[in-house]
Amino acid sequence: MASQELPRPGGFPAIRYQRNLPKRGPSGLVLMAGLTTVCGLGMYRAIDGVKERKEIEREKTWARIHLVPLLQAETDRDHYRREQAMQAEEEAIMRNVPDWEVNAKGGASAVYHTDRYIPRTIIPAVEVSSK
Amino acid sequence: MATPNDPFLATHEHRESRPMPPSVPAVDEIGATSAPLTSAAYFIGAHCQAYNEDFMLCKAESTNPAHCLKEGRKVTRCAADVLRQLRANCAEEFERHWKCLNEHNLEFPRCRQEERPLNECAFARLGLKKVIPGTSPATAIHEKKNPIHT
Repeated sequence: MASQELPRPGGFPAIRYQRNLPKRGPSGLVLMAGLTTVCGLGMYRAIDGVKERKEIEREKTWARIHLVPLLQAETDRDHYRREQAMQAEEEAIMRNVPDWEVNAKGGASAVYHTDRYIPRTIIPAVEVSSK
Repeated sequence: MATPNDPFLATHEHRESRPMPPSVPAVDEIGATSAPLTSAAYFIGAHCQAYNEDFMLCKAESTNPAHCLKEGRKVTRCAADVLRQLRANCAEEFERHWKCLNEHNLEFPRCRQEERPLNECAFARLGLKKVIPGTSPATAIHEKKNPIHT
């Protein structure tokens, strides 16, 4: 009969099967929660910024709208003055031509079949030579 | 305003030195640059609303420059009056604000510090309040306490 192998006297020590890792930083749950919070706050502020930019744009637009009549009135006066000057010149040049109608064709709406005002497309002008 | 045939948009520079015919009443042009105009825009809008709307309704009737000269003169005189009043009553605040706008690309958010005293002064002395249409006091950007964009 073969003799069975037996544990050594006093028995074997317990097998260490548990991992023994040092604790490293906060848990995954905490990381996830922190990430969500940071991203949430960031998005909140970013969306706030988008809304604010919209309001800034509105402010700028209305500032310009309030100035439109003023600038348009000034431009209109200049156009009117130039138009009158052009007609006066035409009259002076053509005064010896019988039956000449001043501003007959060049006149804004004269060549179009409409009552709507059409600005001139051609301006007879003396070119200003560059200095 | 840019319109067709603007002398400064034309391909060839052309000048016209002849004055306005005497049949048209004279009016002093506003003579202010973009920064003071932008600074005073909301006060012009508040003070001259009736004239401005009248002029724009007139322009809607016809875009002919000759059609709205009378309304246009009223608009210009009213705006000049606002600038005159601002200079008389809030000179320092007004100047600080438009100089700030001038240096900051005419962007309102970058001149809030200068804007607040001007708004207060204009409201206290001239009764002109800056109101942005389409906003309430709660959402008005110029009254926001801690704005993100400054």
